[in-house]
Amino acid sequence: MVDTREDILARLLVVVGTIPGLRSSHRNNVDITEEMLPAAIVFDGDETTVAGNDGSRPSNRPLLVEMTPEIVIAEQSDEVGSDLTTLRRELIKRVLLDTELNAKTGSNGKISYVSCQTDVGWMRSLHGALRAQFMFKYTLKPDEL
Amino acid sequence: MSLDYSALLYDPVYLELGVPATFVSGSVEADLTVIDDTRPKIIPAGSVEVRSVGPGAFVRMQELETNGIVRDNWIDAAMNFNGRTWTVRSWELRGSPNGEDFGEVRFLLKAAEVG
Repeated sequence: MVDTREDILARLLVVVGTIPGLRSSHRNNVDITEEMLPAAIVFDGDETTVAGNDGSRPSNRPLLVEMTPEIVIAEQSDEVGSDLTTLRRELIKRVLLDTELNAKTGSNGKISYVSCQTDVGWMRSLHGALRAQFMFKYTLKPDEL
Repeated sequence: MSLDYSALLYDPVYLELGVPATFVSGSVEADLTVIDDTRPKIIPAGSVEVRSVGPGAFVRMQELETNGIVRDNWIDAAMNFNGRTWTVRSWELRGSPNGEDFGEVRFLLKAAEVG
């Protein structure tokens, strides 16, 4: 059994966990307390087939898909803007340059940084969160699932 | 209005719920009675909910005036009560039926910088 999607998401959590300064890293955890901050949360992404896969072909033929997981980084501090900038830099660098992740996407796949959004608000200190999306393109092989 | 809400409402409430606090803003220092209004607070970030607290404290406007504390002294003032030190980052007025000068201010606080 080979499930590239799961392999990528599992590895993504490991990679995110290596970002310096994080206190915790999670997968799909939607309930974070301030004691866990700075925290990074990997959310399983939507998956879509790449245009051009359709047409007359056997249903078990390999097809290219794109998955867009989201990673949320949350922090509380007086310098939350600068902190998030640093964490974003480390996140992008580690995801795009990780050898294992790139290997999992295969010879005709790729990893792209898509975008990020930020949210801020007051709690005990200034709170900030950064939501970053990446796109993983890889081959889905039904026969190997 | 014949009713004095400061005497009838705020005095007994602060007598029961109030705690001693120190207020320092530049050269202005005062001992006050405040009501700790630290509340749970949740901020959403995409699918995530981050849980913390929104610290705050109520103070009677008349007590501030009695101690010579004017609005220019509020922002960035240091407040200590219930064993913690906070910095005033903002505020909101809570008027009384006798007018805002006889009501309360709710100081919105943030954790004081350490060191």
